[in-house]
Amino acid sequence: MKLKGNIFILSVILTTLFFIACDKKKKDKKDDNEDTSFDKPAMLANYSENIIVPNFQSFKIALDSLVNAYNVFTQTKTVGDLTILRQKYIRATIKFQRVSTFEFGPSESEIVRSNFNTYPTNTLTINSNINSGSYDLGTVSNLDAKGFPALDYLLFGKNETDASLIALFDTDAKAANRIAYASACLSEMQTKTNSILTNWNSNYKNTFTTSTGSQIGSSLGLLVNQLNFEVDLLKNGKIGIPLGKKSLGATLPEKCEAYYANNISVKLAKECLMNIEDVYLGRSANGSNGIGLDDYLEHLKAMHGSETLNAAINNQFAITKTKLDLVAEPLSTSVNNATSTVDAAYLEMVKLLVLLKTDMPSALGIVITYQDGDGD
Amino acid sequence: MAFGFLMLASILRFMAKGWVYNMYIKPKLFFPYYGFEWVKPLGETGMYVVFIVLAISALCIAVGFLYRYSAIVFFLGFTYVELLDKTNYLNHYYFISIMSFLIIFLPAHRYFSIDSSLNKKIAATYAPNYFILSIKFQVFIVYFFAGIAKVNPDWLLHAQPLKIWLPAHSEMPLIGNLLTKEWIAYFFSWFGCVYDLVIPFLLFVPRFIKPTYFFVIVFHLATSLFFNIGMFPYIMISLTTIFFTESFHLWIINAIRSIIKGNATEDAVIYAPQIKTVKLFSILFTIHFVIQLLLPLRYIFYPGNLYWTEQGYRFSWRVMLMEKAGTAFFYVHDRTTGGEIEVDNKKYLTYMQEKMMATQPDMMIDYAKFLKAEFTKQGFKDPIIRAQSYVTLNGNGSREFIDPQVDLSVQSNSFLQNKNWIKKY
Repeated sequence: MKLKGNIFILSVILTTLFFIACDKKKKDKKDDNEDTSFDKPAMLANYSENIIVPNFQSFKIALDSLVNAYNVFTQTKTVGDLTILRQKYIRATIKFQRVSTFEFGPSESEIVRSNFNTYPTNTLTINSNINSGSYDLGTVSNLDAKGFPALDYLLFGKNETDASLIALFDTDAKAANRIAYASACLSEMQTKTNSILTNWNSNYKNTFTTSTGSQIGSSLGLLVNQLNFEVDLLKNGKIGIPLGKKSLGATLPEKCEAYYANNISVKLAKECLMNIEDVYLGRSANGSNGIGLDDYLEHLKAMHGSETLNAAINNQFAITKTKLDLVAEPLSTSVNNATSTVDAAYLEMVKLLVLLKTDMPSALGIVITYQDGDGD
Repeated sequence: MAFGFLMLASILRFMAKGWVYNMYIKPKLFFPYYGFEWVKPLGETGMYVVFIVLAISALCIAVGFLYRYSAIVFFLGFTYVELLDKTNYLNHYYFISIMSFLIIFLPAHRYFSIDSSLNKKIAATYAPNYFILSIKFQVFIVYFFAGIAKVNPDWLLHAQPLKIWLPAHSEMPLIGNLLTKEWIAYFFSWFGCVYDLVIPFLLFVPRFIKPTYFFVIVFHLATSLFFNIGMFPYIMISLTTIFFTESFHLWIINAIRSIIKGNATEDAVIYAPQIKTVKLFSILFTIHFVIQLLLPLRYIFYPGNLYWTEQGYRFSWRVMLMEKAGTAFFYVHDRTTGGEIEVDNKKYLTYMQEKMMATQPDMMIDYAKFLKAEFTKQGFKDPIIRAQSYVTLNGNGSREFIDPQVDLSVQSNSFLQNKNWIKKY
């Protein structure tokens, strides 16, 4: 018994010594006090302080000014104010591309992506809602009858001239209902956006910055997962589906984003892609490049073949942008007239998705999944 | 007894996390094991009943009530659940299945159990050595094969995948910074390898049992700290106590007994089963262990990198050996129109299934066959199912995983036959 006890104590001491020895040996070579861990809190702070919250702020400004323009238009009903209103609409949808990625925390509770931008627009539901004058925008059946896609239809119309569109808000039998409907769509977005901003500023900023792990549900995990979801939306919703990737190659131009405005679908896709790149780089709207996922990958020395993974991702962003630049507006025409050009952009998006969804999370030790489970 | 309580905890944890629903009720298709395609889920109520029965039988095993029946029920129930979908394959679950099989034969109810106090005739204080030995040998196999699997260049020379996994925990208090050092990944890799290879031998030497057990605890607690591996570390920690001497176990039992009802003296009774039973058991155990020794080695019959192709990967104690991730795009090609559809995997698979399928060729075949049936129903005539997939292994950058032109729906899974459409690593 005594011998056993001694061996036990001895082995504990030996292990401790071994650990210390290993530590010492390395200390001689390199200063071990040097902090080799990546500054995750600084990266998360950069995301919340310089990117996410400012993006929501500028989206809010764009949305508020859209609402103002709408209120002016419904008073004056002039072509001039309709033009201004449409410009404000376009500006707000563009700004929306810069917040839709952040579907976690406050945005997740407001289900922003589905509530603000489920397209193609369901014009049947919209018209029946306007005719009846009674609807609840909060129900699931109205998801594709509200938000930006509904405004797209209401403000640009299907085969309407400016005059005939204004008439729908003026002399039409259901004009009052229509005015109220668009107004309800706008105020729903306003309420949700205000609530998101309030939540970010009051407590979520802190929650976000202090959750520094890499596990499922950590800030980094959420950001990387949602960033990939956004790439998926870009690849499928904005380009792939209109291009016929889910319909045996038969193009579906009416499934383009902002189909009724009909000259901004490519622009929205570009803005979405730029935002994805900015988020990857940790670059804010004013162009200053802070600590982002790219720095983290560099820090970890992640490789992709003979180049760094960061270099591979940056190249892929550049190629994808070049190919997307070649696609002409309106996208609804290009999918038919310049199918191979659109297809080329699509294929680059697939490659980008693989890098961001497979290589990056793998290098960062992040799980791409919305379901939790044990590993082995 | 400890096994019973831990299993009870596992089952309850599994249910509490909503995994029963996510893994066995929600999915639209299941990925069966080769040879066990006939195992089907039971629907919502059925699955919950199975889990409740598992929890009850685990409790019965723990207290030694209707021990042998409970053990059989637990083994069958647990194995049934695991056979439903290979998405959820974990070495740990496999280990639990095997253990619950082995404990069926243990006379564990003959001492300090409800069974033995109800029926004094079966009570005994000594069990034949070979029962205990079977469990010990199984633990030996697990450690040893896990150790051998670690002797590979990625693990030892490149410290992969630990070099990726450990820095991900850099925010941990005190040791966070240390985890980002490269030498720590090497140290953990080598330590893990030596540990797995040496521990199973040391455990058999009574003189070393205490220091050895100290390492067992340190090792498994460390893994539970860094990795998301559920109950496994605790199962191993409690199971290895079987290597302790009799006096240690008696000491624990007496401690528990003194809490429950005070001390009682007892006579030594040796449990000696009939010769026929012994023969039967020895044949069963022999078959079992021959399979246990051969199954992990079957990868030899497949060409290519085992970690890349995963042919012969399961059931061979390759634990925490690779960081692998992939993305797979499936296409359904209509022969009549020549058109093609890109499948929205999310529509048919859970995230977990999609993730597992993207890196495992046999699951791709199962999924392709499902898609073929699904799209034939939608009016496609004899569609071709192909997939483009990219996989990254141990931080080496994603590359094309399989031949994107192959019609996966006409491929089949078979034992020991190579899938030549997997690209070379």
